[in-house]
Amino acid sequence: MKTWDLIRTANRNLFRNKLRTFLTVMAIFVGSFTLTMTNGLGDGMRNYVESQVKSIEGDRVILVHKKIDKPVGGPNAGAPEEYKESSDEDKKNDFDPNSFLVTVPQMEEAVRGIDGVKGVTPRYSPVGEYITLDGAKKYKLELGVLSEGITQKTEVGKTINGADQIVIPLGLAREFDANIANLVGKTATIAFKSADGSIKTIPLEIVGVATKGFQTNYNSFVDVMTARRIYASQRHDDGADKFLGFTVQMETSDEAKVAAAKKQLSERGFEGDTIADVQKRTYDAIGIFKTGMNLFAMVALLAASFGIINTLVIAVLERTKEIGLQKALGMGRGRIFAIFSLESVLIGFWGALLGTVAGILVGLAANKVLITAYAKSFEGFTLFVFTLPSIAIVMALVCGIAFVAGVMPAIRASRLNPIESLRYE
Amino acid sequence: MMLEAKDLSKTYFSDGVDYQALRNVDVTIAKGECIAIVGKSGSGKSTLMHLLACLDAPTDGTVYFDGGDTSSLTEKQKNKLRNEKFGFVFQQFFLNGRDTVLENVVLPMRIRGSSNSRIAADAADALDSVGLADKTHKKAKDLSGGEKQRVCIARAIVGRPQVIFADEPTGNLDSHTGAAVEEMLFGLNRNNGITLVIVTHDDELAQKCDRIIEMKDGRIVAEHKQESAAL
Repeated sequence: MKTWDLIRTANRNLFRNKLRTFLTVMAIFVGSFTLTMTNGLGDGMRNYVESQVKSIEGDRVILVHKKIDKPVGGPNAGAPEEYKESSDEDKKNDFDPNSFLVTVPQMEEAVRGIDGVKGVTPRYSPVGEYITLDGAKKYKLELGVLSEGITQKTEVGKTINGADQIVIPLGLAREFDANIANLVGKTATIAFKSADGSIKTIPLEIVGVATKGFQTNYNSFVDVMTARRIYASQRHDDGADKFLGFTVQMETSDEAKVAAAKKQLSERGFEGDTIADVQKRTYDAIGIFKTGMNLFAMVALLAASFGIINTLVIAVLERTKEIGLQKALGMGRGRIFAIFSLESVLIGFWGALLGTVAGILVGLAANKVLITAYAKSFEGFTLFVFTLPSIAIVMALVCGIAFVAGVMPAIRASRLNPIESLRYE
Repeated sequence: MMLEAKDLSKTYFSDGVDYQALRNVDVTIAKGECIAIVGKSGSGKSTLMHLLACLDAPTDGTVYFDGGDTSSLTEKQKNKLRNEKFGFVFQQFFLNGRDTVLENVVLPMRIRGSSNSRIAADAADALDSVGLADKTHKKAKDLSGGEKQRVCIARAIVGRPQVIFADEPTGNLDSHTGAAVEEMLFGLNRNNGITLVIVTHDDELAQKCDRIIEMKDGRIVAEHKQESAAL
């Protein structure tokens, strides 16, 4: 029998019992629909998070902080502990927040001799007061620092590339001017509280308006020089400068060199992450979320696959005589197996096709509703994202599951004895 | 010799009991011969036909087709042999009622994998020769019993077989339509030289064959040669 004849025969067999086929297809439809939706939701979240996380970039930078030895270790870590009057001796074991801090010489010592290191920048933590464009209307200022080697995506203008510059968040920019492009090149005045309590101001050039992202939604970013200036003015004079961490600028973005530098830093008691590392952790979390949701859809498909098995087992019984005749007339086992397998895969295919189409339609409709409802708070967020590869994977997966479900009945059919089958009542 | 069985035995094992359906049977069937195998139910006549048609394998002994030992054939080769050299007509028709007459008739050709144009031409010939050309696109279930059996004959001859095995071909038909079907089968034997093996307990039908093999308890108890076939 030719392949085309096999497919035709399988399809005709399915149409012989329309209601039963339809019901079995519906079970698969529900599973495919769910899988399409959960997959679309996962992709939507991933896309959103990606767009948010990607608003900050830099492949030549390692973000470093000191490794802290946990004060309490061992199997009982974190277990409730009875309170005791502590002696000085015990206090040594208590966690000291200052143990995080590093000085500039310590930073330089940490990177000494590491191949490919261009320099280090302390993590300044300046605190802003307000920002104003015209001096009259003031807005609260959340300050961030953009170290050398890290760039920001901008809606208009460009990222920081020199001293006395600022990139402001999109929301703030719209308050200043509805046409945010007008702001680029203008001078904004930012204010901060110095150590003695007085308010000081500095003028900064607005070089860009940041694209929305987790770090850039509310923060205005200044260059390192400006940050250092503010930080110096805010610091209480109590000894050497100490910082929460620092960034290492590399000469190259070569992954092997960056990884080697991270390893050496680790040996010296520091923990380094690239921006890609941080992003990967976020993606992994989304990936786990997506897999978890897809598992629910898979349960639905598993249930549906028993429907296929049931349908085909009944079909084999119903068609025992027909199978007997086909065998008597010389049809081989392989062909009998193929016809039943094809019927199974066709059920899967129709269910998957209907399920994905319905899933996409419902997803797109939901997107429209959500955009009108939540547009402001989640700009750039599409709840359901459907990509061709992921739809193709869903379809192939469902057909695959259907095939597996059909194996047992198909083998039963192929092994029937022709004489006994012709006598079957 | 077209078909030859030597020392054929068949034992069924079921529920721990051996049932010997066929005991040391020898048969030879010449090319173009028309032969009837008769006997009561349980006499082993159907089993003998199944073995001759390679639908089942003997416990002992050998079946030769056209001089070749069929026990040495693989399952695939046996399938091919049945498909290309044999035609089958059954008492219960085994038609697919929801399919058209045409689809039912072309089944052996489809299994064989013939080209569509070949299938169409041969099916038209076959339906023509059983006088059902006008029912080609009717559903099989809408036919009368006699017409159904004629469709079965068309299906048996569409692949141009050398042997037709007919298992109680008139068993489900009244005497009038039965006679027409008989006439058709004997016509194929006479005019096309197709070897005919008919299993029946209908004496009247058996008498019309060249030779009658009478079976009882798995053994051949008598063979009658007709001087000249009736009709």
